[in-house]
Amino acid sequence: MSADPLRFADDVRMYVFGTSAETGRVPQPPEIAAALGRATEEVREALKTLAAGKVLILAPNDGNIWAANPFCAVPSGFRVTAGGKSYWGICIWDSLGIAAALGRDAVIDAPCGDCGEPMRLEVRGSKLVRGEGVVHFAVPAHRWWDNIGFT
Amino acid sequence: MLLFRDEEHVDRWRAARDLPRGGLLTPDQTERLARGWYGRKLAPDWRRHTLEETEALLAQVGLTGPFWNLREG
Repeated sequence: MSADPLRFADDVRMYVFGTSAETGRVPQPPEIAAALGRATEEVREALKTLAAGKVLILAPNDGNIWAANPFCAVPSGFRVTAGGKSYWGICIWDSLGIAAALGRDAVIDAPCGDCGEPMRLEVRGSKLVRGEGVVHFAVPAHRWWDNIGFT
Repeated sequence: MLLFRDEEHVDRWRAARDLPRGGLLTPDQTERLARGWYGRKLAPDWRRHTLEETEALLAQVGLTGPFWNLREG
């Protein structure tokens, strides 16, 4: 484990993303600190570094991880099932991103953004084999990071 | 980015929020975009895409025009 802050941030990154992929649950600072044998405050500083580098997204108020995107830390309307595990995505792009990051076949259940009717997409062999509907991006590409939650 | 049943549902959602029409993609385009964007996110040597790499990815998926211009603004 490195004493160098940037290398430690990289250790935190690998733990966060590895655990998210393995378990479907995004770990938070106390768990990360215990796993890496460091103080929770050090982990919080490392997470701020990662958030500044747009590696992950912190919740606005408490400094916990909101999303190690594509993995969302809190339940959302976008549920991904892959390899016998369940994951949450922030949006449809990230939900498909979970399948891509895992390199696994996946089923994505999501509601219609207007009427809430359940919809389903399926990825198999790195290809979309079942799709329905249309995807709408509300925010122009050059402003995606102005408000990533809305994007 | 939200999934909608069809364009009529997109327009109803927009109208309720007074939002302009944004970018529309097929689910297949979105999957290819997601694969290019997140496919290596778990790799130890992952790094963010450069601006040029992101532009190339958008173009590969067929997303061109002002809405998809990363440099505008």
